[in-house]
Amino acid sequence: MSTARFDELIHAPTRLAIVSLLAAAQWADFKYIRDELGLSDSALSKQLSTLESAGYVEIRKRFVGKFPRTSASLSPAGRQAFEQHVAALQQIIARSQQDGDAQPAAEAAHGIPRR
Amino acid sequence: MGDTQQPQPAGTGATGAEAAAAELAEIQRRQEQVIKAVLVPVWYWWVIAAAIVAIGVARDSGDLAVQATVIPLAALVIAVLTGAMIPELRRRVKAYTPQASTRAPQTSARVAAAIIGMIVLVDGVILGTAASLHAAHLRYPGTIGCAAGAAAIVIAGPLVNRYLRKLMLSQARQQISGAPQAAGTP
Repeated sequence: MSTARFDELIHAPTRLAIVSLLAAAQWADFKYIRDELGLSDSALSKQLSTLESAGYVEIRKRFVGKFPRTSASLSPAGRQAFEQHVAALQQIIARSQQDGDAQPAAEAAHGIPRR
Repeated sequence: MGDTQQPQPAGTGATGAEAAAAELAEIQRRQEQVIKAVLVPVWYWWVIAAAIVAIGVARDSGDLAVQATVIPLAALVIAVLTGAMIPELRRRVKAYTPQASTRAPQTSARVAAAIIGMIVLVDGVILGTAASLHAAHLRYPGTIGCAAGAAAIVIAGPLVNRYLRKLMLSQARQQISGAPQAAGTP
């Protein structure tokens, strides 16, 4: 069980996609992430750098033969932040359902707040 | 969930349930993407099946030249394809297996059991069918036995894939939600 904590850094759509992908992986090749998410090299590098600066992602560079290969993985802190973010999302849904049970008329009148 | 901090996305003041549900759906979609990437593609099973049928046909042809050519070639195709496929799959991404999870050894055992079970099934079908036909003095026991084994592969292969996918997805969901889900449920 994780403490719920909404994470602004992870919340951004592109970073959410990257972190979600990495959360399901022990590590992932740079090209794999780029191709799966349909990002350019520079866009992915930028997002990975942001996540790395926050301590959420670890970048590993190595050579396979003559070719450089970059891979990324979630750090323990990144995995924890991701789990907390997921818990926060689940809590938002649970609260909404509770509110819906208690005040269906009010919800219908005001709508559900969006991003 | 334990202690909670109030979610406060920038600029909006609150994140709605629909947006939260969309984020969770995105997370699940990405998990499925990774799991799909670490499983062998369906065409792999068809190529292996075709190679096995070729071995059976060559065996029944009785022609030494055909046997000397086709059987090593088919075995080579199986060995090279399998030898190339697994490292290629592992080169791109490796699925997460939580070290601390008490379910990890159980999951590994299930994966191993599924793969070994399939190999035993296919071998059993090939040998059992071929031996039965041979004992009954029917024609083409090798071809029919291997065709039956090939059929078992193209049926069981994707089923094993599906089982492994559900198993890994269940583990991934448990990782993020703390709520384990049975491998047999979608």
